[in-house]
Amino acid sequence: MATTTTEVGRDLRSAILSSDPQLSKFNPLPRILAHDDFNTGLHGWVELGGNYDGRGDFHSLDRHFRDFRPPQLSTCDFFDVGTHGAMSGTYALKLATRPYPGHTATAIRRLTMSGRGLLQIEAYIAYKAEATVGDEADNAFGDMEWDGNRHPSEAQFGAFTVATDLCGDGGLRYHTVARYQNADEDGNMLRRWRYPIVPEPTPREHFEGKVDYPYATDFTAPNPDDWRDFGDEQELCMNEVPTKVNWHYLRWVIDTEKRQNVELQLNDRIMDWSSVPVPPYEERYGSLENLLNFYFSVRTLSGQRNFLYLDSVVISADW
Amino acid sequence: MRQTQTAVLERGAVLDAELATEPFEAAWASEARWFVEFLEPAPEGSVVLRTQISADGLTWVDHESPAIQCSASGIVTTSVHDFGHWLRLVALIDGATAAPLVRVYLALKE
Repeated sequence: MATTTTEVGRDLRSAILSSDPQLSKFNPLPRILAHDDFNTGLHGWVELGGNYDGRGDFHSLDRHFRDFRPPQLSTCDFFDVGTHGAMSGTYALKLATRPYPGHTATAIRRLTMSGRGLLQIEAYIAYKAEATVGDEADNAFGDMEWDGNRHPSEAQFGAFTVATDLCGDGGLRYHTVARYQNADEDGNMLRRWRYPIVPEPTPREHFEGKVDYPYATDFTAPNPDDWRDFGDEQELCMNEVPTKVNWHYLRWVIDTEKRQNVELQLNDRIMDWSSVPVPPYEERYGSLENLLNFYFSVRTLSGQRNFLYLDSVVISADW
Repeated sequence: MRQTQTAVLERGAVLDAELATEPFEAAWASEARWFVEFLEPAPEGSVVLRTQISADGLTWVDHESPAIQCSASGIVTTSVHDFGHWLRLVALIDGATAAPLVRVYLALKE
């Protein structure tokens, strides 16, 4: 059977990716826009900063947008084992909340689009609540009571989110959002994927007097009624205690030509997200043409510090 | 090229008593410098700044570098070397009639 040039090219690309220890654990689209291994720095992942006025006045920042915390280059150090290290080398990127119910930590990566079509982010991630030590610490929280297998910290982790901020074609702005809601504020285990049905409130809407949210509001979509569950419960590998780090594969595809979700994968579960709505802002935005931002966030509901670790990230596109 | 990171650990904290910054991992860095900027000063207030370190991010102990005493105005800076893998800054204010608003940077270098 004749082999076409296209097939040879595809096979060659596949062989090169498979033999590269850094990339063989990913499945990128044809153009790799970013490959972020946090052993070599922050790679542009930075705290999501709010918009401020012409004087840089702290008070001009939205209250719920003031404190998303700087990401850390983490060795995954813990009290019981010392340095755990990352999946690749020693360092991971860590997002850490404050110990305050509802507080969110973020890291955002800012790019622009040079085309339209499929866009994918892949990452190896782990999530943890901060370990508790000492006689004052609780041995149970919500659904989780220490029994040698289950640990209260599993119920103290709220949610992690991966999302975009996209704009183009004359200021048409929209977000795609995928959240894993692990537990609620009382520690009831949920383990559900969720998405919002409204766009994220913006600083301009605050400036115009349309919204004003308090500290630690869920900035992605403040009203809990604006979130919908997707699919069935998915249990992940928290691995019993808050100091064992098991890395999970995340892959998420969207289509910026159609402004639609496509597919979400977490380990062995591949979910068709094409029916998940992508609500655009009704008003157009300036200064954002071809905006392409990805962010990760982590939100504590229990008030225990919550952490999201990223070992490495690949962003790719078919354009 | 050496790696660096400037982290804004407090963007606008109200210093009305004792403030401890959130735990920050800095295993990769050999140099660290604090910048404490009083965005809304209280010059009559006396502030003590002390670096604390931790091996696990849970329990903290004073670093052997001397504490800094200053008034709650302008920008104050101090450096720290030879630290464990976690850093935080503890600020204590006394004598102020109004609580100053502070920004705290941690500047790290490989």
